[in-house]
Amino acid sequence: MMGHAPFIANTKCECGHQNPVGTVLCEACGKPIGEEFDSSENLEMRYDGVARRSQRVNPGVIDLIWNFFSSVKIAIYLIVLTLLGSMLGTVFPQESTFLNIDASTYYKEQYGAAGQIYYTLGFSHTYESWWFVSLLVMIGASLVICSLDRVLPLYKALTRQKIRKHRQFLTRQKVVLIANIEEDPEVWVTRLLQPLKKKGYRVKVDGGALLAEKHRFSRWGPYVIHIGLIIFLLAVLARGLPGLNMDQHLAFPQGEITRIPDTTYYLKNEKFKVEFYTEEEMPEEFRGKKVLPKLYQTSAVLYQCTADCIDPSKEPQLSEVAAHDIQVNSPLEYKGLKAYQFDYDLTPVLRSVQPELINSANGESYGKFMLEMKNPERSFQVGPYTLTLKEKYLDFGLNEEGQPVSKSPYPNAPAFLFLIKGPDLPSAGQQYFYFPKQVDKAQFQQASINDKLGGQDRFLELDVANMSDVDFAESTAYLNIRVDRAMPFVWLGAGIVMLGLVLGFYWQHRRIWLIVSNGELTLGGHTNKNWFGFRREIVSILERVDMAVDEKSLDNGGGLA
Amino acid sequence: MGKARKPIQIVILFLIVLLGGYAIGSSVFGGDGKPKEGSRAPSFELLGLDGQTHTLKQYKGKAVVLNFWGSWCSPCVQEMPALQAQWEKWRDQGVVVVGVNVGEDQMTVENFVKMVGINFPVVMDTGRDAVRSYGISPMPTTFFINSKGKVDSIHIGQLDLSTLDAQIGKLVSR
Repeated sequence: MMGHAPFIANTKCECGHQNPVGTVLCEACGKPIGEEFDSSENLEMRYDGVARRSQRVNPGVIDLIWNFFSSVKIAIYLIVLTLLGSMLGTVFPQESTFLNIDASTYYKEQYGAAGQIYYTLGFSHTYESWWFVSLLVMIGASLVICSLDRVLPLYKALTRQKIRKHRQFLTRQKVVLIANIEEDPEVWVTRLLQPLKKKGYRVKVDGGALLAEKHRFSRWGPYVIHIGLIIFLLAVLARGLPGLNMDQHLAFPQGEITRIPDTTYYLKNEKFKVEFYTEEEMPEEFRGKKVLPKLYQTSAVLYQCTADCIDPSKEPQLSEVAAHDIQVNSPLEYKGLKAYQFDYDLTPVLRSVQPELINSANGESYGKFMLEMKNPERSFQVGPYTLTLKEKYLDFGLNEEGQPVSKSPYPNAPAFLFLIKGPDLPSAGQQYFYFPKQVDKAQFQQASINDKLGGQDRFLELDVANMSDVDFAESTAYLNIRVDRAMPFVWLGAGIVMLGLVLGFYWQHRRIWLIVSNGELTLGGHTNKNWFGFRREIVSILERVDMAVDEKSLDNGGGLA
Repeated sequence: MGKARKPIQIVILFLIVLLGGYAIGSSVFGGDGKPKEGSRAPSFELLGLDGQTHTLKQYKGKAVVLNFWGSWCSPCVQEMPALQAQWEKWRDQGVVVVGVNVGEDQMTVENFVKMVGINFPVVMDTGRDAVRSYGISPMPTTFFINSKGKVDSIHIGQLDLSTLDAQIGKLVSR
């Protein structure tokens, strides 16, 4: 577009107004300038014919960058490229959606060579890639610069409109009427005021010339949309800042207060339950064939740490802040933190047992003690006997050298080695191996191990009397913990975009210029959409001043809508 | 108003470069948040077996060999003598070996330390905070952190005496 401007353009209009480079229609009288004058087509009314801010005779480097982003053509290319780029991210699942999948092998295993190429080219994280983010940044820049470059000149042009325009400005509009008027021009124009005002026009009169205008605000619609989009983009960008966004999946064993990492919150799963539809509740074709879940519910209590939160050598002090029965789509919410039901595991996890020390010779019981799986006490006094916990294996097994080891950190097959001291025992004490789970007792032959350790005449046994002495987490609830503090701004941006769309779509900026002189009426009209409705409105206004006009005769060509 | 244009243009372009640079930069270098070779080692604050709180900061100026282990992980057990030997060899030259136990309780850790006979500092990551911030998945994983607090190299899997010696030598010479 810059190429069309001659090196030194004479931009002074015959009305005496000096126009900036790039002006299409004189800012004052509306007379077409340069190439536009020689044409007989409809006028180019975009931005009311004013020059965009960046149009200059000798653009510098900054102007060139500015002009690049100011171009609508470039903006459209950027949007198309972004759309094509987004499509790439939909071919295979994105890495960001994986929880426990190793991306480096997943694509090859799942999709073969295509998957490997996809992963190698980085499309497995398309939306976080440098080129995708660069495109978004460029669209953001284009939004800001495009708007600034156009909205300010347009605003000025629309607030400084002259009533009396050049005749050519009127006759080359898309709505034109030329008719004879016998009456005195000023009287006729005055008669027109009432019907125009009734239709909602704001009217300005200058002798025999008139400018009627309504719904100018609709012109700001696109710029309001741009502001909304910029807020939207900034909000999305801000999600990357620390503390504004969190999304993690955590396990909460029933009955344990579990810390939520990177926050000062702790969450306790008081009770998890899963219910299934009974046979009677299901439709006939499902009966006996399907198991359909009815309810997943985690009764959760949220605690906030009030003191000693960071120091690992102290126990944190907690206070309850929220409680909720978390169900699917009904998360626990507290100050922007949300806990969603995500998964569950019904495998019970042993937490503690209260074994009883029994004299197997005479059946006498010396009492019971609390043995925790995690952080157990090291020494117990039971009746006259002292039990010292020497070794603990949560998942008992033997290594290659035949030594006892724990195969995992989970209490799958817990085993404890005690040293018992007391009456009728050797002074150095007697060792005793204890497997709380019945199945392990048999598998690892607790009795024969202890016979070896304590001899055939040993008389002490540890045993759990009944199930009330066993404590375990019945199930584990997996929750998705989310914080998204940028979300209100995303919604705000989206709301502003919607407002802009409504402004631009449901109202039209309509303007009517007319000049009555030498017994002739020259009328020109412009709107930004709905030309049909606009012509009908003009016809009905003219009817009020006893002027019959055919609707179609107003059409000055130019592909009207 | 013509005079005001240029500064406004420059300010707006500057803001775009600033925000855009941040956005692109964090997508290129931010990655998944796990430390890589050359990046700053994440700080930690963990309870040591000695009852004291240990942080990475307290070893500032020293080269740190940060070893993540569990008593149930047999390669972790097997590399302990090598770590102990290298700790004894290099401790006077500003090298500290720190063992991070992952998710086990004090008794297990104490018994283990006694059994394998190590005396370098051992801390307990019961909440798996350091595991998360260091992005540990298989164990053992060892981070070699230089005296400036930057990750020099990461070794996943069992270490043997000679490679450990070479790694530490490299760490100290830088």
